[in-house]
Amino acid sequence: MIRLQEVFKSFGKVHAVRGVTLDIPAGQIVGILGPNGAGKSTTIRMIAGLLPPSAGTVNVDGLDTIDQSRPVRRRLGYLPESNPLYPEMSVEQYLRFRARLFGISRRAGRTALARVIERCGLENVRRRRIGELSKGYRQRVGLAAALLHDPAALILDEPTSGLDPSQIAETRRLIRELAGRRTMLLVSHILPEVEKTCDRIIIFAHGQVQADGTREELIRKAGRGRQEVQRCVLEARAGDRINDLQRLLSALPGVGSCDLATQADGWVRARIAGKPGVPDLREEIGSICAREKLVIRELSVVGDAESLESLYIRLVEGADAAPHGENGA
Amino acid sequence: MKAAVAIAHREWCSYFRTPIGWVVIALYLLLSGAWVSLETIRPGEPATMRVFFAVSQWLLLAVAPAISMRLLSEELRAGTIEPLMASPLSDWAIVAGKYLGAVLFLLTMLAPTLVYVAVLESVADPDPGPILAGYLGLLLVGLLYLAVGLLFSSLTQNQVVAYLGALFLFLLLWFVTSQGARLVGPPLDARLYAMSIQLRIADFAKGVIEAGNIAFFLSASAWFVVISVVVVESRRWR
Repeated sequence: MIRLQEVFKSFGKVHAVRGVTLDIPAGQIVGILGPNGAGKSTTIRMIAGLLPPSAGTVNVDGLDTIDQSRPVRRRLGYLPESNPLYPEMSVEQYLRFRARLFGISRRAGRTALARVIERCGLENVRRRRIGELSKGYRQRVGLAAALLHDPAALILDEPTSGLDPSQIAETRRLIRELAGRRTMLLVSHILPEVEKTCDRIIIFAHGQVQADGTREELIRKAGRGRQEVQRCVLEARAGDRINDLQRLLSALPGVGSCDLATQADGWVRARIAGKPGVPDLREEIGSICAREKLVIRELSVVGDAESLESLYIRLVEGADAAPHGENGA
Repeated sequence: MKAAVAIAHREWCSYFRTPIGWVVIALYLLLSGAWVSLETIRPGEPATMRVFFAVSQWLLLAVAPAISMRLLSEELRAGTIEPLMASPLSDWAIVAGKYLGAVLFLLTMLAPTLVYVAVLESVADPDPGPILAGYLGLLLVGLLYLAVGLLFSSLTQNQVVAYLGALFLFLLLWFVTSQGARLVGPPLDARLYAMSIQLRIADFAKGVIEAGNIAFFLSASAWFVVISVVVVESRRWR
């Protein structure tokens, strides 16, 4: 759906994007993550046809964003970073205006308007002036405007910046809902935002893609990179079979060490560390418990989020240390 | 085309959704009205609208940049230009729509002045020819002033700068084509006089409609609109 090939963009002497190649298939929800000034916004503004690349090509649905800019723009819904709106217009007036810009006929416009107002929860404020609305509602108006023409792909630049925590949670939920079968590009510098919403995470730093993959892939990569080990916690009602469990767990080929202790309530808590590079132990641990008919109340991986965070920091800082380093992806 | 009309409509409405439209119309009508009541609707005065056209022409100098200053500057400042440029319409449609919106506002502002004509009509028997010519001249000079203002507003995010830029250019042009022309003397002065907005507009006020004058205003306006389109378009190249 969206394809970038060896894309460069310079503003005078500043090289904002340096050799980005990406292929985003239809229907994928992609998070673009990176610190401020990493080239994220520049990249998506090139996709939206607002900037031409200095070198390389950007395609949407096989159409060049420069030569066939207008059909490309018709396929995209774009919410810019600051979500600029006309404060003097009412929600309805603004959405009707946007519909006319997209050449939506009056009748189709009415249907589209009703649809986005319903989906974005704007029913109560449809006649209010945009300038009077809270930031959360304004964000919804921006989203509604980006969705009016039912675009195949939705591009959202920092959609939750400047919102309070409850508005952030609400906007995230809305974004997840709106994605549906659409391709979606979500730009953010906040890790949990991308982690919670996206199928695929692309980490940008210094105008280059530093990492690209699903959350699990990135975590695995993080583990490999630092010889990190997976740590699991198991809580089972092992009773006096604690030593059997210890033996069985230790015998697993992927397990480096395990440490069991009976807790005050009688449940046995096991802390298991995998060998370096072993991706996931939970399935094997689970099947041991099933075989041994042990009732379990917890089996989970700990420290996942930290490892993704540490990967992010490492990539961004690594890129800081070596801004001309190789493309890490 | 439809998109340009949508933009023009939004623009025209937004003059009335914000104070600027009301303030501009009120000031213009107050000043032009005062002049007409004191100088034209008076025993012994000729039954013409000459005073109105002369005053209006000067008022437009200050009023037109106030109408045009926000056209693109405000979009640039607020960032609303971005979603506009990400919509599937040409940059032509954006700029033409903006310009059209401002021209429609100018017509809305001039429409109530027909009351002056009606009043004059009720107390005397004015010749309709010069009145029609006068309005045509006023409209043409308005088109040109708005086009210049449009260009300045495409160049800056600051409305005050856009206003002053346009106003300064008008005053400079006025100075060059009057004092400047007198200074350089023949044969160069003829060229400068030919560029004089004030001299050309005076023809209209006298009831003289000349094709050359119409062509001057229309082509100069078109020129400024085209440059504005180029300025807006250039945002995509940078």
